[in-house]
Amino acid sequence: MADADEEVINSTSAEAPQIEVDLSDETQDFRLLNHLSFLGDTASSSLPKRGEKDFEPNPTEFQADVLSASRQAMHNALSHPRIHNPKNRVIGFYAPDGPAPPPQYVETPKDKGKGMNISPDACVCIPNPKGKFFQNTGQTDRWNRVWLLPEEALYMIERGSMDIRWPTSLTGTTEMGGDVSEDEVSIPMSLQAAYACFMGQGGLTLERYSVFTGLKRLGYTVFRAPGWDDSAKPEDSNNEKKDAYAQLKQLRHRGPGLAGILASISDWIHDPMSTASTTAGPVIGCGIHRSYSDVYRKMELIPWYDPVLAPQRDPLDTIAPFRVVFHVYKPTNVIKKTALPTPDFRIAVVNTREQTSIPTLPQLGALLESTPLDPPSGEKMERLLYMRLRHGYRNVVLAVVDQGVTSFLRIGDAAFGKEKLFDAKHVPSGGKKHGFSKQRRR
Amino acid sequence: MDQPTLPIPISFISGRYLLFSIDDVTYLRREYNTCGVLIGTLPQIPQQNVFLGLPLELMPEEARLLVDKGVACIVDEAKAHDGMQSLLEEDRRQYLRELESQGLHATRILAERKDQQRDQKFKEKSDKKAATARAAAKAGGGDKHDSPATPANDSPASVADFFDDSASAKASTSTVPEQIYAVTPTTSYPPLPRPSTSSNNILARPDVPLSYPLFAHLQSRGYFLSPGLRFGCQYVAYPGDPLRFHSHFLVVSAEWDQEIDLMDIIIGGRLGTGVKKGFLLGGPQLSREQAESEIERTESVRTFSIEWAGM
Amino acid sequence: MASTQSEVPTLEPSALTNLIASASASGNLLSATTIQVLHNLQHQHLWTSLQIHDTGASQTATDPANGSSKDISGAPTLISGIPPHRVYTHPDQQLYMLGKGIHEDDLRPERLFVIPTAQGQTWSLRRMASAFDAMAEFQIVEDGEGRAAPEVDAEKAQKLDEYYKKREETLATKEWGAQRLLLAMVDKGMGGDGTVVYYVVQEGEVKPRQN
Repeated sequence: MADADEEVINSTSAEAPQIEVDLSDETQDFRLLNHLSFLGDTASSSLPKRGEKDFEPNPTEFQADVLSASRQAMHNALSHPRIHNPKNRVIGFYAPDGPAPPPQYVETPKDKGKGMNISPDACVCIPNPKGKFFQNTGQTDRWNRVWLLPEEALYMIERGSMDIRWPTSLTGTTEMGGDVSEDEVSIPMSLQAAYACFMGQGGLTLERYSVFTGLKRLGYTVFRAPGWDDSAKPEDSNNEKKDAYAQLKQLRHRGPGLAGILASISDWIHDPMSTASTTAGPVIGCGIHRSYSDVYRKMELIPWYDPVLAPQRDPLDTIAPFRVVFHVYKPTNVIKKTALPTPDFRIAVVNTREQTSIPTLPQLGALLESTPLDPPSGEKMERLLYMRLRHGYRNVVLAVVDQGVTSFLRIGDAAFGKEKLFDAKHVPSGGKKHGFSKQRRR
Repeated sequence: MDQPTLPIPISFISGRYLLFSIDDVTYLRREYNTCGVLIGTLPQIPQQNVFLGLPLELMPEEARLLVDKGVACIVDEAKAHDGMQSLLEEDRRQYLRELESQGLHATRILAERKDQQRDQKFKEKSDKKAATARAAAKAGGGDKHDSPATPANDSPASVADFFDDSASAKASTSTVPEQIYAVTPTTSYPPLPRPSTSSNNILARPDVPLSYPLFAHLQSRGYFLSPGLRFGCQYVAYPGDPLRFHSHFLVVSAEWDQEIDLMDIIIGGRLGTGVKKGFLLGGPQLSREQAESEIERTESVRTFSIEWAGM
Repeated sequence: MASTQSEVPTLEPSALTNLIASASASGNLLSATTIQVLHNLQHQHLWTSLQIHDTGASQTATDPANGSSKDISGAPTLISGIPPHRVYTHPDQQLYMLGKGIHEDDLRPERLFVIPTAQGQTWSLRRMASAFDAMAEFQIVEDGEGRAAPEVDAEKAQKLDEYYKKREETLATKEWGAQRLLLAMVDKGMGGDGTVVYYVVQEGEVKPRQN
């Protein structure tokens, strides 16, 4: 008895094979991990296929055996130790009081007050940095030591790439006999200790950390954005606003010269207000109409929002959680931490337990306005209407975190008003099934 | 997988509830259908998000239920780690020795593995040679037995055995290789003493949202509950361990007299049916003002399962 | 419990508006929705033996918390009837039937209850529960007006007998689900077109159907 439409909806959502299956969407059977070899051999660390699951428990022994095997596999996988090859081990020291010069360094009056140029939130110091990680992680001070932010340090220890030590100043030294270096007498921090000491430091929440590591694990390069500090305000909001208005005027003003004159003539011809009869008389007015485009243009009565003309907003002129906290770069780009290019993605992090409703239009609007203009460009975008609409003129990614589960939503500022469907060249061609109605997730 | 000493300490870190001990995680999963969400990176396969590792994040509801059952307690982990400053010289030394022997054990296993792999490769090579020789001699069809693709199936278990008590004993008796692997332990217990309920860093039981009674009700009926973000609901309910079973319900809680938009019921029902799940709407008949405790509220829960009628 | 069970008057399908207009003269705000759903069941979904169960406008329900009585304004009016095809079969029931070789069409038609609602109407768990509680009060004796069970051979009759016996048992054990009804919602929102959607609502955790 159902409508044909409904059947379609039902079947596509239920068993349509074209829906992308994201393995990380669901708990996977850890037995699949057994097919991967564990230590060393990285060549085989490709991902297994998803396992078959049952609908409901039944009293069969077979099912019980499979379950206990799965749990054993999970137990084994989670018991895997973090060990460091002495040849390439990286040792860091926890600095509970933040960045400081090396202990043997005696501050001369000349150097006094010379900043270390290190974020005050940094909490781990690596005296001898080596390895690929430090190309895009941490900050280097003038003694060639690398300082890590809490999330960077925690990620490094978690993935088993760094051996972080308690400072001996805190735990006291331990005589182990033989010659003494701090590497040997300091106590290694456990993963648990690292969480206890770094989480909550310098604005790091578990939600932000989950987003950070989730992206790092996929190879993205992630840096804090200026909006990281919830309480940070624009330095001089008045000046900024003036600038924005100046920009706006600039945008509205036509260019000089012949092109400008031609533009204003065409404006005068097409300006719907110039018909002056819209309030009382017919919308289009009498006269000879030579093309449908003119007719449709005159029928454009409803004002629409043009994201190009929206004022640029200071990224700090937004209210948490709807402000950008991460700048993210695609894995394919080589990023030098000393010269950061424009990020590929800007991410705001939302905790579902603190923000229980979807953002309001002013919240979302402010967030989008705080991102730079990123109009659709390229041959494909020019050709495909729906791709243009979906890309939008500004965009931001919301990372929504619910108790450890993260979803990414891309918000694009689409400009429907800019797409003149009556102009033949804008008529949508193909690509309909990639319509913007489908929520995009990455 | 022995039973851990109760109560299990749940780490309270920066407002969240975390578990770091694999034995605690396995035990709670098996005995209390509490699965939490793994949020950490697996060191053996760090560049992916499909399989995650420790720590395990618990919802405040999960932590509260375990505390109310007397199975767990909440530890202020930052405060507990202040104890690092007051470790006795002797404990410190013993702990470093322990880590060293674990590292030694790891080093040995890796060395053995390397030898095995080399032998394996050598064997494969010689097998191949032999096969080619045989094939040349017989000039016959392919022999399928010649590809001993022996997967290292036993390796995960042996690697996981690192921290067995026997391991350190074994390690200390054999010769010392010149370069020993260093170990980053997962938990801080030891060197810190395992917290007991009388420690001064034990916190009060967690505050929970209004949906707690429905959560506790479903838990008591054997369901495993996960955060509901993926389906836009409060919880996803599984009839068994999510490792092996698909979920049955998208769960939303409401107070007894809370106004519900009928459209939300339709949306939930339709979404659920679309993914072969039921939409479960429920809540306690007693408000917080009317009930003495959350337990009393939990006993008054009524639920309704909703599916599209298909007409 | 006071309840009136009235036979549905014969309706002219094209006269829905007139019908609602005349009904709303009675002053009952919900009755328009009720009649619209009734009309939809009768004419679009071809239900038979339709009845309206008025639970009484000033019905009171006892609040389990403090023992006091709380007025539920407009306790839900229910509709019941017999659908031409089974609307719902519990997964385990389906499995059982499959094992016995019983087809859905072999079974006696079953009366199903419907709560008529309209988009925008206030709703709560209490109201949902009161509909279920009210439904339990109505014991309907089928007068044979609905479709009779199809003729079957002796072997099948025996299997059906076993099935009905099992069905009787499951009412107590609830293994094939407890009470159920249909929630009907009329689209009356902005630009509402009068579409009626139906959802199966069952008390308790009832596992979903897999097809």
